[in-house]
Parts: sequence; structure tokens; C-alpha cells
Amino acid sequence: MLPRSISRHDSNRSRRDPTAPLRHLDPVLLFCSLALAVIGIVAVYAATKSRFGDAYLVRQTAFVLIGVGVMGVIAFVDYHKLHDWAWLFYAATTGLLVLVISPLGSQSKGAQAWFALGPFQLQPAEFSKLSLIGALAFLLSEWKGDIDLRRLVALLAVAGFPMALIMLQPDLGLVLILSIITIALLVVGGVPTKYLAILAVLGVVGVVGVLNSPILKEYQVNRLTAFANPDDKSNPAVYNIDQSKTAIASGGVSGQGLFQGPQTRLGFVPEQETDFIFTSVAEQFGFIGSAVVLGLYGVLCYRTWRIAQIARDPFGTYVCIGVLAMFAFSVFENVGMAMGIMPVTGIPLLLLSSGGSSTITAFAAIGLVLNVHMRRFR
Amino acid sequence: MDTASPRLRMSVIGVVVIGCFAALFARLWYLQVMEAPSLEVQATANRTRTVAVEAPRGRILDRNGKVIVDNRTSLVVTVDRTALRKLPKDQQAALVSKLAATFTDFGTLTKTEALDARLADKQYDDLQPVPVASDVTEELMVYLSERAAEYPSVGVERESVRQYNYPSVAGNILGYVGRINAETLAKVKNDPGVDPDGVKKEYQPDSTIGLAGVEAAYEKDLRGTPGTEEIEIDANNRPVRKVSYQAPRPGSDIQLNIDIDVQMKAEEALREQLRVVRGGQQRDNFGVYRKNAPAGSVVVQDPNNGGVVAMATYPSYDPAEFVNGISQARYAELSDTDGVSALIDRSITGQYAPGSTFKLVTATAALDNGIITARDTVNDKGYYEVGDPPTRFNSTGANGYIALPRALTVSSDVFFYYLGDRMDGTTDIQKTATSFGFDASTGIDLPNESSGFVFTPDEKKALHQKYPQAYPNDTSWYTGDSIQLAIGQNVVAVTPMQLAGAYSALANGGTVYQPHVVNRVLRPSSQIGIPVDDPDTADVLRVIDPVVRSTVELPPGTRDPIVEGLSGVTRSGTAASAFSSFNQSTFKIVGKTGTAQVQGKADTSVFASYAPADDPRWTVAAVLEEAGFGSEAAAPVTRHIYEFLSGQPATPYTFVPPAKVD
Repeated sequence: MLPRSISRHDSNRSRRDPTAPLRHLDPVLLFCSLALAVIGIVAVYAATKSRFGDAYLVRQTAFVLIGVGVMGVIAFVDYHKLHDWAWLFYAATTGLLVLVISPLGSQSKGAQAWFALGPFQLQPAEFSKLSLIGALAFLLSEWKGDIDLRRLVALLAVAGFPMALIMLQPDLGLVLILSIITIALLVVGGVPTKYLAILAVLGVVGVVGVLNSPILKEYQVNRLTAFANPDDKSNPAVYNIDQSKTAIASGGVSGQGLFQGPQTRLGFVPEQETDFIFTSVAEQFGFIGSAVVLGLYGVLCYRTWRIAQIARDPFGTYVCIGVLAMFAFSVFENVGMAMGIMPVTGIPLLLLSSGGSSTITAFAAIGLVLNVHMRRFR
Repeated sequence: MDTASPRLRMSVIGVVVIGCFAALFARLWYLQVMEAPSLEVQATANRTRTVAVEAPRGRILDRNGKVIVDNRTSLVVTVDRTALRKLPKDQQAALVSKLAATFTDFGTLTKTEALDARLADKQYDDLQPVPVASDVTEELMVYLSERAAEYPSVGVERESVRQYNYPSVAGNILGYVGRINAETLAKVKNDPGVDPDGVKKEYQPDSTIGLAGVEAAYEKDLRGTPGTEEIEIDANNRPVRKVSYQAPRPGSDIQLNIDIDVQMKAEEALREQLRVVRGGQQRDNFGVYRKNAPAGSVVVQDPNNGGVVAMATYPSYDPAEFVNGISQARYAELSDTDGVSALIDRSITGQYAPGSTFKLVTATAALDNGIITARDTVNDKGYYEVGDPPTRFNSTGANGYIALPRALTVSSDVFFYYLGDRMDGTTDIQKTATSFGFDASTGIDLPNESSGFVFTPDEKKALHQKYPQAYPNDTSWYTGDSIQLAIGQNVVAVTPMQLAGAYSALANGGTVYQPHVVNRVLRPSSQIGIPVDDPDTADVLRVIDPVVRSTVELPPGTRDPIVEGLSGVTRSGTAASAFSSFNQSTFKIVGKTGTAQVQGKADTSVFASYAPADDPRWTVAAVLEEAGFGSEAAAPVTRHIYEFLSGQPATPYTFVPPAKVD
């Protein structure tokens, strides 16, 4: 009897331990991400039902389940261990980025970005978002806000290498996300203001230079500039934006109803299960539904920002800020593109868009933030 | 302030993110709440297309209310090209060759290449299935619909097409319909017909339109009011479902002056008499020629109002051949077989020297202008001389001293040479010809009419200046020209319709009517079987009233001696042998033979007439090319028609030996 009573005592104690990680699971963040994933499954189904039946429904549900599993695993391994493994992740994903542009990778939609794994395709560039967050957070937390020019160059090199590899695929959208993540981490990581100012100037010059140079293909320039000249009907990207805006507007306040959006159902909106998933949601669920989706993202971002503030150590803060940058920019760019206020780039709407790599990455990122929150007391 | 403070920088990040979300919410509000109504209109236009549904055309009835042209349903096999192109390439090819094999099995020999060509044809709208086989059997329809899975993208539709109740009859009058071409579409786009309710009958690139005859001339009445079908389409222009449907309405019916039974008789008489004379030899003043008898025309007109009761042309065509589109080869064959076209209507486009039938005009001019009286005689010695040294104009045989009536009966050329000589230097004959309706289009309600010509000295000169090669060194007007004009040769050409109009004027006392084949326009789906003599039917939308073109001065002093002379033609004159079998006791015929010389060929045989003499009801003018003297071809054709009109028993088609003089 005795051992039993001791064991019961132990378990009672453990349950009351105010620092136990599970007691500090952030239910709001968890709810938002799961709710968005469920809405995503429905939206993907609605966008693909007429063409592919329930194939995408099954796939996306599977991706979400895998993503939730990955999220659980990442949340329960103390992030300080992950801190130690950060370079391992960085090296691994960078290695995959090299391999994917070798003949081992496969091409689709004009980009050499995938590994074909049976019926699925693995997009290593998605994972590089997380590995870059890890590597930069590691360096910034090691240097504790003491960044000189040499260290800044080192940070930029760490960020620039995977970006250069992804540019070779090419995937402009991911390069943009990695840039935003890098900028956010440099800002929070204590890079002196004068360097940030110089970087900002260089950035503007760089963007203008790239747009006017032959580095980008014509279709890429068209997409990037379409939102700025919405009346230029010779620009093929303008057509897509027009169709998307029309579809969103046809949702009105209350929406056309599930499976009822004529613009999306009849295929006027391209890529509606991935890049233009928000259009499909907006047409079917109207302003009310779209606002709920944007609100969920807003709360998700707010919780991530808040967790960054209350994290126990700078590494945790940096990880959260990296994830915040990733989510906030994905939402702003993707939804902004669908509504014609941002350039057209192929950035998935994390958690909503169809796609295995991006969904699993998104859940892994949420897992990291939950992890930081759960362990903020020890 | 410490710009490097981590808390401050965290706040900056937070503010930026809040700014981004605020921008998204604002834009969302703008698009879905403020802009939604205007963009919704665009969205509806985006996803629906309105497709026109062709309506059945109005029917064409004869003067007794018999339906000549009706509509019937044709089963058409169609292929939906958008659906076809979605199949893998090898399946597309397999389907097309399987379809060709199926058509062949069901009795229509079809080549795969022909189907491929049809499917590549750009004239068909991508939204609508392309017809690949028309008038297929019910069995084929059942076969295809039972095996829909084996024939993806293939469908069978019902289409309204023309049905001709009198096969091969009156093609020249009825005309035919066909698919509109881009040029015509641009022309009619701004001026489509309007149905009785005021609805515009718009055309589409695949609409059918009347291309000849009454179908073309009364297109605005015959065309039905297209229906509309609104269909929802997807981004690839594939139809998804029907949103709304407005049924098409048939076009107005047309009732002709044509009596289809007289028409059939006229066509038969023309065809048979040409066959009888064909191959024989003709000897005239210039030589011996083979009578090829390739073509001809007969017009039957009501002299009291100009209504056309029948107009036959040979060779002609069967409009049913055009129903499902005619092949290039067949069309070429119809337009030119050994230099003869079956597609032109010789009644209104053929221009022939009228020969002695023109003596009506010369006689009227001479009497009206007091050149001679009806009693004055001329010594017909068999030739006529003018000038010094004299130029001699020969004729066949001498008639001695004769006056005008007898000169007409026996067709004395010398008598009329004399009249031409007397009127040389004036344009009396030309003026009278114009008042009889020659030298100008009759204004008949059919397309492609010729005007004929009656040259004046000035016109002859102008012609030489205009066409020096066709009219070489011929600038001046010779007395010989007046002499030839007097007997309807060289400087005069008329259409059979004009000739009928002139003899109608003689019949009715001097009124030249504009001929018209259509009597009235009836309401769509009108009650049939009502003759044109019943003017009070509720279905009448519009009556084509007789129009007077001109009047001829035919006082009794002019008309009586001419009628007296022409009454003798079929009894003791040039056409006596042709009419010997015909009982004229209650149905007297007033007529005139004509033999028009054509360089290097057998003569054109002409006969113009009206009957009955006391109460004229019909004018008949017949012109047969390369068929010999007027008495041997055109006169017998006319007799066969009068047999039918007067109710006398029909006589067999036999060779009639020509009278010595025509």
C-alpha cells in the first residue's frame, strides 16, 4: 500500500506544480491555430470539390493531423534543447535546398522546388523558414545585443545563403518571407539603429535595382507591379487580381454560402486552394466570415507577440518574433494580394492554404511558441 | 530615447503588425461592403452568357393557300468542342474516327478528315456544340444516346430546317437559306427585321438567312424571333447550367401570287418542249444550226394587277439541296454546267432580243404617232431597200399588199422594216418601248433583276465611247439600226418578265404593273388554305398592293387593229400549227411569235400572249434559247400552259413544224 500512496502523493504534487509546462499551455493560441486549420480544410474542400472530389479534403485533413502531431512533439521538447540543435536544423535544410536544385529535385509550375515522395511533394524551402529563425535566434541570443559590423555581416550571411539558394528555384515569395523574418529579428535583436537605417536604404535601392534588372523574369515583374497599376489590362496578373477582387466583392456582407461562391466554383479565380484561398473564403462567407478569419490571425499574432514579451530568455523572444514575422507577413501579403493591395507572389496563407510542407511548418512554428510559453518559468 | 531598447523595438514590431491588419480590415470593408453592389454586376456578367436560339422561319404558301415551304425537325449530331478538347489527345482522335465509322455504318459515308475539318471550323461559336451530321435517322439518335458514355462530348439536337412540299419546284422563286457570312452579318446587324410585336430579330454569327429568291427578298418577314437562353459558364467557357430560357417564335408566313399547280405545269411544259426540240436542226437566213435548247423561261402573269402566277426557268435547282449546306463541288456544278447556270432565274435576269414580239411596240408607236393608219397597206415583196446605192433587207417570203393587222398575223418583216425606216431619226419606238416597261428594271420583288435595253442613237454612241472594244467603229446610228429595232433585233434586249408586262399592258388597255410574286404577308402560324381572293382573313399583316410603273397610250384606234392582228396569229398566222389542237371557241388567244437571231447559234424562240381575249386573265411569255423559230418551241410551251389554265385536256409533247415566216 505504501508505494502506492507515495506514488499518488507524487502525482498530486506534480499536478499542483505551478511551473509544470502543461499548466501553461496557451489555450487561446492553440484554439486559434486549430480553428484556422479546420476552416482551411473546409475552404480547400470547397475550392477543389468540383474538380477533384474529396481528394484534397483527405489530403489536407491528413496534413493538419500530421501538423498537430509535429506541433505536439515540438511543444513538449524543451526549447533549450532545440536551441542547441538550431545549427543542425539550419545545416539540414540548407543541405536540402542544395539538393532540391540538383537533379534530385523535381520541377513544377516553373520552379525547381520539390522532392517527389510518392504521392506527396516535399518543399524544403518551407522548413528553411523555421531553421533560419532558429539560427538567427541562436546567434542573436549568444551575442546579447552586442552587434558590431562584423557580426551583422555574419548574420546577413547566415540569412542570405538559404535565400540565394531559394532564389535559384526560383521562389520569390519565400525569399520575401525570409527577408521579413531576418529584418524583424535584426530589429528586435539589438542591431544598432544606424545599421538598420543603412540596411533600409540598401534594401530600397536593392528592390528598385532588382525590378529594373534582368534578374527577374518578365512574369515576376508583372506580378510584383500589378497591384500598383490595376488598370493595365495588358498585364496578365491584373486579370487574376480583378477576378479575385470581383469574387471577394460578390461575397458581400454575409457571403454566398458554403459551396455557393459562383466566381470561385466556376474557376474564374486561379490557384484558389493555395494562393487565393482567402478569395474562396471571402466569397462564400462574406465580410463576416472573412473578418472572423482575419480576427483569428490577429489574435494568433497578438498571442505570439505577447509570448515574445514574457519569454524567459532572449532566445525564446527571438523565436517568437521570428514566428510572428512569418505569420503576420504571410497573412498581410497573401490576403493583401487577393484584395489587390499587395504584389502577386506565391505565398501560401499559413494554416488555410492547401499544402503539406507549409501546413506542417505552420504547426511546428505554433509548437515553438507554445513551447516558449509553457516554459517561461523555468 | 534609446532606440536600441528591446521593449521599444518590440512595440515597433507590434505597431507594424497592427497597421498591416488594420489595412486588411479596411480593404475588406471597402470591397465587400462599399464596392460590393457595383462589382456584383460585373460578377454576374462574368459567369453568364446569353445564347440566341434560332426560330423557325415563316412558311411560304401559294395563292390558294397551299403550303409550298414548311419547316421540319432535323436530327443533328453535334460535338461539344470544349468537352472534346478536355479528353487526352489519342482519345480525341479515336472518338472522331469512331464517330465517322458509326455514321458510315448507319448509311452516311463519312470520312474522319471531314469531321476533323468541321471540328476545326472557326465559324462555329465555341459555346455551342458544332453540328457534324444533319438529318440523321432516329435509329442513330437512339444508338448514340444509349451509348453516351462511349461517345463523350457527342450529342443529338433537334433543329428546325426547311421542308419543301413540292420537291424541285419553284427553286428560282423560293430561293434558299444558308448560314450568314461575316460581311452580310455586318450589313444586317444594324437593321434586323422586327416581328409583329415590335421585337427585333437580331442575327448571330451562326444565324441562317435567306440567300436567294423570296427567302432573301422577304427575309425580314420570314425570319423568326430568336429565343434566348441564358447559361452559366465557368472560367473555361464551359456551360454549367441553364439560368433562363425564352422560346423562339416563328416568322411571318408569306402568301405568293404563284399558283403552285400552274408553276408545275409551266416548268413541265418548258422542260419537255426543250427536250423535244433539242438536237434538231434549224435553217434560217444565215445558215444551219443545231438546236441545243439548253435553257429557257416562261412567265405567267395576271394582267389585271401584275401578280406573277408562275415563273419557270430551266435549268433550275432543288432548294432542298441547300438545307444542310451544299458542297462546294455541287454548288460549282449548279452554277456552271457546260456554261449554263441553274442558279440564275432567266425570267428576270435573262436578256434576249425579243424578235417579232417587239412588233407590238413598233405598231403602237406607228399608230400613236400617226405614221400610218390601220388601213394603210405596204407591198411586201420579200425584201426592203433603203439608201442610194440601196441596201437590201431580206425577209422570208412575200405577202403582197398588206395592212397592219395582217402584217402582225403573218409577221411581215418588210412591213415593219418600212415602219422602222419611217421612224428613223426619231426616238418614237424607244419612247413607246419605255412606256411598255422595257429598258428599265420591272421592280419585281426578287433579287438580281436585269434591266434589258432599247438603244437610242445617243446611247449607242455613248456605249461605243464607254466600251470601244465591244462596240468597235459603231458610233453612228444607221437607218439599218432603226429597221432592226422595228423587228426587235440587235439594239434591243428584254427579259421574259418585261415581255409579259408589255403584253399584260396590251391586255388591260395600257397599264404596266410592277410584277410581284408575293401577294401578302400573314401572321406567324397563320391559318392555311385561304386563297388570296379572300381579302378579309384576320391573319393578314400586310398586302403587297399593285404598283403602276407606266401607262401606254392605247386608244381603240391603236389597240383594236393590233389585237385584231395578234388574234389571228394562233388561228391563221405564224402560230396556227402550234395551236391547231387548241379549242379557242371560249378561250381566244392573242399572241405573237418571235424568232431572235443569235450570232453563230440556233435562234431564240419567243412567244408572248394573253388570254382569254375578251376577259384577259393570264399573260404568258415564253423564251427558249437555241430552240429555233417562235412557232416551233415557245408557242407549243404556251399552248400546253393554256390547256391547263383553260381546263382543256393536256396534249402530248410533240415536235411542231415551224411556220414559214415568224
